[in-house]
Amino acid sequence: MRRLAAAAASLLAAALAGAQTLDDLKNDGKNTDNILTYGMGYAQQRYSPLAQVNKTTVKRLVPVWNLSLDNNWGEQAQPIVYNGVMYVTNARATVAIDVATGKQIWKQTLDWPADTPRVVCCGVSNKGAAIYNGKVYRTTLDAFVVAYDAKTGKEIWKSKAAEWKDGYSLTVAPLVANGVLITGISGAEYGIRGFIDGWDPETGKQLWRRYTIPARGEKGNETWPKDNNAWEIGGGSAWITGSYDPALDLVYWGIGNPAPWASQSRPGDNLYTSSVLAIRPKTGEIAWHYQFTPNDAYDYDACWELILADLNVGGKPRKVAMQLNRNGFLYVLDRSDGQLISAKAYEKVNWASGVDMKTGRPVETDIAKSIRDMKATEHWPSTRGAKNWEHAAFSPQTGLLYANTLHEGRMYKHLETKPYKAGERYMFIENLPLARAAGEPVGHMEAIDPLTAEKKWRVPLTEFQNWSAMLATGGGLVFTGKETGEFIALDADTGKQLWQFQTGSGINAMPVTFTQGGRQYVTVLSGVGGLYWNIAREQLKDKVPPGGSVWTFALMPD
Amino acid sequence: MAQDAQKLKAGAEIYERNCSPCHGARMMDPQGASDLRKFPHDQRERFLNSVTKGKNQMPPWGGLLKPEDVEALWVYVVNAESVYGH
Repeated sequence: MRRLAAAAASLLAAALAGAQTLDDLKNDGKNTDNILTYGMGYAQQRYSPLAQVNKTTVKRLVPVWNLSLDNNWGEQAQPIVYNGVMYVTNARATVAIDVATGKQIWKQTLDWPADTPRVVCCGVSNKGAAIYNGKVYRTTLDAFVVAYDAKTGKEIWKSKAAEWKDGYSLTVAPLVANGVLITGISGAEYGIRGFIDGWDPETGKQLWRRYTIPARGEKGNETWPKDNNAWEIGGGSAWITGSYDPALDLVYWGIGNPAPWASQSRPGDNLYTSSVLAIRPKTGEIAWHYQFTPNDAYDYDACWELILADLNVGGKPRKVAMQLNRNGFLYVLDRSDGQLISAKAYEKVNWASGVDMKTGRPVETDIAKSIRDMKATEHWPSTRGAKNWEHAAFSPQTGLLYANTLHEGRMYKHLETKPYKAGERYMFIENLPLARAAGEPVGHMEAIDPLTAEKKWRVPLTEFQNWSAMLATGGGLVFTGKETGEFIALDADTGKQLWQFQTGSGINAMPVTFTQGGRQYVTVLSGVGGLYWNIAREQLKDKVPPGGSVWTFALMPD
Repeated sequence: MAQDAQKLKAGAEIYERNCSPCHGARMMDPQGASDLRKFPHDQRERFLNSVTKGKNQMPPWGGLLKPEDVEALWVYVVNAESVYGH
């Protein structure tokens, strides 16, 4: 009896300590008080059914608090919210914040070697934390994975994933799936061999490592040259968090570009670069793969979010995974087996004329041939893609994808490749801007039909591209941010801007919405940074000062 | 003169691999970092110091590049105009 009472007491203690269970994670999105996963639910739809803030009330949306993050490197993270506490990361720190007051509860700073940014191609930042069983998890720029006590911020374990001096770095938000903590890696611009790691969330012990490039003798390695070691330095980063289908027990993780970008030293498809891997979270076993861009010569990558939804395809419900790939095509795959359902261009594309639905392969044009022949070539979309990492949202209410897309071609040329040097750039390309016609958009905010890639609406951007994720809500709104600092709400049906607030720096992060005490809050991080800052710093510097902070909004009471 | 030509070539190679991603191919597309075509040619010490120790968002390169590499980069930066005609 005493033992039973003790067991009951410890169960109660666990509940009080706020132990996030696997069921909590699986049901993320259903309890709107919490945001426990990257993408606001394992499906990464970035959709909330909340409707208190809607087309009518949004005019009363006002800031309720702002907290400085004391960081000039840029803010990209998605906040996690659990039981009234918000967890936010950047490259320099992890911060726990009281949602009700905006006051800092704890802060853990990180100190990586000053020269680490040498091996960080695309922004000294961090995409966010994961939470599970009373612990907060994150990755570090110098390629460690760390667990903190969610209540106190005390470090519980810290495990090294790789050596930063060899070009490996970490900015990805971890995923907890079926009890395993999963992280990816960055560094394909430095000739790494990419991987996805599974960790024991309790101890930080590595449970498995799945290299994104198979070793000699493993299936897939035959798509690399036999007479050189290109596969060992072939890239294949994995720097955006995968999505997860608990019913199929499959994690969908996008894999990055091959290295070097110039392709002459690596003939073959180069699996599993520029592909999606469907992985068993317990073991890291690959259930299926689909390659978007075989022998990627364009840094097209496939790291971005795989958005999971149930779509009606030709009268039949299908469990799909969708990706607005950087190569300009919008892919819809059957997520149970990887079968290609649809692949339609959603932006200007000149390197391929389409995707062969029988083989699933792009049909390359003379433009592609010219690039492979090492000629300077006008190339659409550019290596930065028709959409970059800035995540799209999917609203089950409208059945549409909402995305910030890029409209950019470049004069692109492969250079002669030179020998690999550990920790140094491994790209060998020239990428120069094209003359732009006056008034030609640099990007769009748009609503896209997943199966036809037709645009329900399209709002052109003429000065700066948007590099912030989208958030769709049941209130018929789409939230996103601008590099010039405006946090905005659009009408999900028309794209008309209904509301804006000027934050103190540029926005290139991921807005979220949640409730506390029945009140709907919207939060976004402001702080110019990330890849766009890397490529447009000179244009932005006189207009947009750096400086990270967290902004939280709610409706002004009547 | 031959030594300078050698330095220029070495500097161009280091630039192409490590610097062009931010400062632009052949210094022609400096969208991500300062326009090195405008770097004052009489401020060699400042250049060597900034590259070696880092400045603003540029990391220190002293851990990777030897002093003679940084010197070669300087030769490249001040002579790029004559090489590329810009």
